[in-house]
Amino acid sequence: MTMIDELVPQPENTGTRDAIRRTAHAHRARRVAISRVMMILCGIALVLTSIPLVLLLIQLIVRGSSQLNATFFTKLPQSPSLVDPNAIGGVLNSIIGTLALTIYASIMAIPVGVLTGVYLAESRSKLAATLRVIAQTMAGAPSILMGLFGFTLIVKYLQIGFTAIAGSFALAVLMLPVIAISTEISVRNVPDTLREAGLALGAKPHKVSLKVVIPSALSGIVTGCLLAVARAIGETAPVLLTIGGGYLNEWRPLNPVSALPLSIYMNAKSEWPSQRAQVWGIALVLVAFVFVLSLTARIWASRKQKRNS
Amino acid sequence: MSTSTSKIASQREELAEINSASSSRGWYQWLLIGVSVLFAVVSISFVGSIIIYSIPAWAHPGTLLTGKGWQSPTGPFGGFAMIIGTFETSLIALVVAGIVGLGTSLSIVFLVPGKFRNIIATLVELLAAIPSIVYGLWGFLVLAPWMLKTFDPFVNKFPFASTIFGSPGQQFGPSLMLASIVLSVMILPTFVAISREVISAVPSEIIEASYSLGATRWQVIKDVVLPTAKIGLFGATFLALARATGETVAVALVAGGVANAQFHLLYPGTSIAAWIATQFGEAQGTEVSALMALGVLLMLINFSLSLISRSLVNRQRKVLARV
Repeated sequence: MTMIDELVPQPENTGTRDAIRRTAHAHRARRVAISRVMMILCGIALVLTSIPLVLLLIQLIVRGSSQLNATFFTKLPQSPSLVDPNAIGGVLNSIIGTLALTIYASIMAIPVGVLTGVYLAESRSKLAATLRVIAQTMAGAPSILMGLFGFTLIVKYLQIGFTAIAGSFALAVLMLPVIAISTEISVRNVPDTLREAGLALGAKPHKVSLKVVIPSALSGIVTGCLLAVARAIGETAPVLLTIGGGYLNEWRPLNPVSALPLSIYMNAKSEWPSQRAQVWGIALVLVAFVFVLSLTARIWASRKQKRNS
Repeated sequence: MSTSTSKIASQREELAEINSASSSRGWYQWLLIGVSVLFAVVSISFVGSIIIYSIPAWAHPGTLLTGKGWQSPTGPFGGFAMIIGTFETSLIALVVAGIVGLGTSLSIVFLVPGKFRNIIATLVELLAAIPSIVYGLWGFLVLAPWMLKTFDPFVNKFPFASTIFGSPGQQFGPSLMLASIVLSVMILPTFVAISREVISAVPSEIIEASYSLGATRWQVIKDVVLPTAKIGLFGATFLALARATGETVAVALVAGGVANAQFHLLYPGTSIAAWIATQFGEAQGTEVSALMALGVLLMLINFSLSLISRSLVNRQRKVLARV
């Protein structure tokens, strides 16, 4: 049966025309049926994705919120004993440790990252091209390698030992390329007309960069920094190899500190049910930190988009 | 008129030259260059220090790559079990997350009504930002007991199960299978976030054109959207694979942490990154450098994956520019 012969108009023969119409209908029905089936499969995939993620979120919120109380936020952890298996204290030291690590890491990473990003955006040299490849590769490097780097350089080579500064250095190395890349993108997005207007008014290139380009790219730069902090705050592997941990209330750069992700990792493997339960509370606090940072970053970015359009 | 425009154009070029002229570099230019060089130095010493500390372990490269036991603290240190574990878990996770994730992003773009699309996209990106330790925790405290009670007995009912998954009575909950499941749940949001973006970047003109020719929704997806987005989707896949191979703490919690050189999925195992994390605390001397050597291996795997994915994403940009 050749379609072409059938499609030649034969007005005399109404039977053939009907046959053509019927075939076309059948084809259409088959295509529609296949499409339905495939779209249903896609919908099933959406449901399959949602189930574990929704379950995770619900369990995190339900189990986590039952752990949050005054002791949790204000007391130091203590080892439970057979006499009192529920005396586990709070996680104040981890909250303070995480804040300290994040602040030190930001102080190290943000200036270097932002300036590198500005250089990447404004220079057309070979150095910039090479740096861009390095930054993109580093941005995807596994975080455990940052931990190894912090360990080899700060803990071993410089003989500083397991300290907050070692951990925040590892986190800063993690944040650096992320900040550099996002800064480069937002500086690039500043329209050339702005730069040229500044130069036309006789401003020196560095004045244009500092007073025109960076201010108009600022919200993008801030967004990038917030996202980098949000990533660093939850990283476990780098701090696992560098900060030392412990139950003490410590924040000073040259002392061992604890951190929220580290105490999740340690307590999850605890043999005490009370400590295993407390882990959900720590995880909830950590996820809350991350969500607040990411949402702030998103709102900032969308506000900027509205202003531009 | 035309002379004045060409004048403006040439002035523009001059300005650009002034902007990057090497003769008139002020303190600001030097600051930027200095900081960038600092960044380069940090990155190079990042790679360099790990390699330097790993050198003693490369005295026995054969043992490191194919050796089957890990005798701390004296050695020999065989990395075969970790290499198997890394590839097995991340490949399974990738296949699961790739298929389910592609369907998910297609349904977000083509099925979900427009007003919910942004909310779901935001939600997916937030889920992708959840620290991996939380996924690991969930796998360790929720999924592992469930596997032990429900999944393993169910799987072991099948006759082939003991050959593929390991013999009954050998399960402790944490296993390579559990690690693969946790990894696939973990990389799903990342994969969906990127692939959704790639899919919605396909120009709506060609989609509408094919609808107007009478194509069904699936035909549009199969014959227009997927071929256009193909390279970008491969890029997303490689990124997800890079994330799965480098994942540390989640795998350290749920894989069992045993250097078992075997392929059975229900046995406990470990991965390169997880092994570094679990062993580093007590390691001394040559064991540290053996762990560093595993780190070098992980670095090689990760860097090549990210190179591939980057070149694919760049090619996708060119493809879209042509459309």
